[in-house]
Amino acid sequence: MTLAGYGLRRAGVGLLQILAVATLVFAFLEALPGDAAVAAAGDDPDPARIAALRQQFGLDRPVWQRYGDWLGGLVTGDLGASLRSGRPVVSLLGTAAGPTTVLALVTLAVLVPLTVALGVCAAVRAGGWFDRAVSSTTVALHCVPEFALAVLLIAVFALWLGLLPATAVGGGLLEDPALLVLPVVVLLARSAAAPVRTLRGAMIDALASDYVAHARRHGLPRWRVLLGHALPNAAAPAVQQLARTVDWLVGGIIVVEAIFAIPGLSAVLVEAVAARDVPVVQGVTVMVAAVAVLANLTADVIAFRLAPRAGVA
Amino acid sequence: MIEVRQLCAYAGETALVREVSFTVGPGRVLALIGESGSGKTTIGLALLGEARPGVRLTGTARVAGRIGYVQQNPAAALNPARRVGAVLREFARAAGRPARDAVAQALDSARIPLTWRELRRYPHQFSGGQQQRLVLAEALAGGPSALMLDEPTTGLDPLTRDAVIGEIAALARRGLAIVIATHDLGAARRLADDVVVLRDGQVCESGPAARVLHAPSHAYTRQLLAAEQHPRAGGSLAAAEPVLEVEGLTAGYRQPVIQDISFAVPGGSRLAVVGASGSGKTTLARCLAGLHEPAAGTIRLRGERLAAHLGGRSLAQRRAIQYVFQDARAAFDPRRTVRDQVARTAIRLRGMASDEARAHADATLGRLGVGSDTASRMPAGLSGGELQRAALARALLAEPEVLVCDEVTSALDTVTRNASVALLAGLPGTLVLITHDLGLVSAVADTVAVVADGRLTRYGPVDAVLAETMEDAR
Repeated sequence: MTLAGYGLRRAGVGLLQILAVATLVFAFLEALPGDAAVAAAGDDPDPARIAALRQQFGLDRPVWQRYGDWLGGLVTGDLGASLRSGRPVVSLLGTAAGPTTVLALVTLAVLVPLTVALGVCAAVRAGGWFDRAVSSTTVALHCVPEFALAVLLIAVFALWLGLLPATAVGGGLLEDPALLVLPVVVLLARSAAAPVRTLRGAMIDALASDYVAHARRHGLPRWRVLLGHALPNAAAPAVQQLARTVDWLVGGIIVVEAIFAIPGLSAVLVEAVAARDVPVVQGVTVMVAAVAVLANLTADVIAFRLAPRAGVA
Repeated sequence: MIEVRQLCAYAGETALVREVSFTVGPGRVLALIGESGSGKTTIGLALLGEARPGVRLTGTARVAGRIGYVQQNPAAALNPARRVGAVLREFARAAGRPARDAVAQALDSARIPLTWRELRRYPHQFSGGQQQRLVLAEALAGGPSALMLDEPTTGLDPLTRDAVIGEIAALARRGLAIVIATHDLGAARRLADDVVVLRDGQVCESGPAARVLHAPSHAYTRQLLAAEQHPRAGGSLAAAEPVLEVEGLTAGYRQPVIQDISFAVPGGSRLAVVGASGSGKTTLARCLAGLHEPAAGTIRLRGERLAAHLGGRSLAQRRAIQYVFQDARAAFDPRRTVRDQVARTAIRLRGMASDEARAHADATLGRLGVGSDTASRMPAGLSGGELQRAALARALLAEPEVLVCDEVTSALDTVTRNASVALLAGLPGTLVLITHDLGLVSAVADTVAVVADGRLTRYGPVDAVLAETMEDAR
């Protein structure tokens, strides 16, 4: 199978996955007691008022009709408008996605070289002190919940030492990079263990292989054998592990954003769920699902290129 | 110039190689001859200045200039994630040679003329024979003055084998000092100037090939030479019901590798499928075993149509057709003992309890010459020949109706190979042998199918087909 054919087939499957996720979330929100009208009525649960609000939000129409409208809008790129504020969901998400994207990209930009450096160095001397230090540190950090680590870091670096800001309130992440340091450190601490350990294991296998011995015998420099001959084979599983980390960065960033008061997707999502603001929740869902599908697709295509044999099956 | 003096190798207290000495001058070929486990590969690695983990070397092994190495099972030396051309150029540059010329020259010497487009391919896109030549080309890319070839003629069809022998001779004529480790006495006879006969790491006999291989003075050498004659199997072509029927089979990857192949295998017969490397033999065998989904055509087992893919076949059908892979090392999980992996067949396919299965596994392994001690090791602790026998035992444990063997004797030395040939010949079931080894064909097979360029060109009784094919080869 060719790379292009493989990519196209996987992209088709990815679209179906996004659709399935969006449909499930729609169904779950529908199944929950109460709706946007009840939430908006708040402390004044007068049935007449709720009915009026329902009509205003268009919630009096049958479920399948609302779902059909939403699907139709999705095809044309229109995700509807927030029931709460009336703002178009697309612009709402566009604003909120900015800080989340910056946070995720900066984390990835540090994570990828960090994974390669730690994974390769640990594998070169597997069982040595560096390997053991990397393994125990990454696993230990992985075991600390991000809220605990975040609170600890804020206490030490923001409150005690006064070196770094504790929250992002009032500043742009890009204008003031110091704001990024603590959130990124927390995200890295949580996400580094899996890709580093995957790469380490794959590197150990690759370094024991005949083709690496063969390359060594040709007198290639050590770094060339490591990075040019062993790493391309070891990278395939690590890249797929990284894709899973991207999923987590987009979906699981909520706690970190909340603690550091970063006005990203998580704030929008939490508010929308509380208000039963179905179009906004749906929009966030589609976006997160799309990123997850795209990240995994990219990883699979890279892995296909790195391990051409595996793609035949 | 290669010079080895008083070379010893120890694993703990056990001596693997004892006081081996020889010299190979420029343009000369020396053959190390012996069974699997006689220390050939250990000596070969010592020439490169290497030893397996836990192995200690004493004595000297000196090479003037660079030495190129082609390992046994050369396919594993090709990096699956790298394009072959890029690796060739890199190896040439590492030796300080101009990449373009060195690569062209190496490909030419290894007789694998590749276009620039083919150089952009990955190793898995080449056939087994081509992969071996690629590794030779890689070894030559560095411009070595000496070559160490471990089992260079193993697993090749007779025509390719002849060509490889010719190439090695040509390389020697160009002034390379060459050491081949081999159990192919025919190749040694045709290539070697000098011979060292090894047994359990000790030199039994050494000297000019003409003397050692024609008038051996040592009893063991005489035994090796005597074992070269194949045991001839009896039995005639049975006019039995067909067990396996293949009709219009077409299969491949992007392009069809085999096209419109039809034949029937009578019960109890021994079919040998022969053909040059890359002719589609293995693809055909994989289709039979349900490992490769054919594009068209049907396969019937006792008249019952088999699902194209293994997943669609019943347990009884899976048990009925067993497959033994060419690369035995790749067919074993490196992290479980060989006995457990062999026993698994009996557990999965015959529903035995694990103790009973292990006992059966031991018995079958023992019949094939793999002792209980050996079987309790991890695959890394077994030689290539031992693993191939274990792989055979694993398939036999299913008590299959049809046993499909892909080049199973290619990694075995003559003595163990003959034991396996005798065993294959004595099996009750139907046998499909994919092989290059015409000796094996005449010893075991009663029917031969010749595959050329993906088509079945001949099918019939062994004597008639072999005679015709030899005629064509001339």
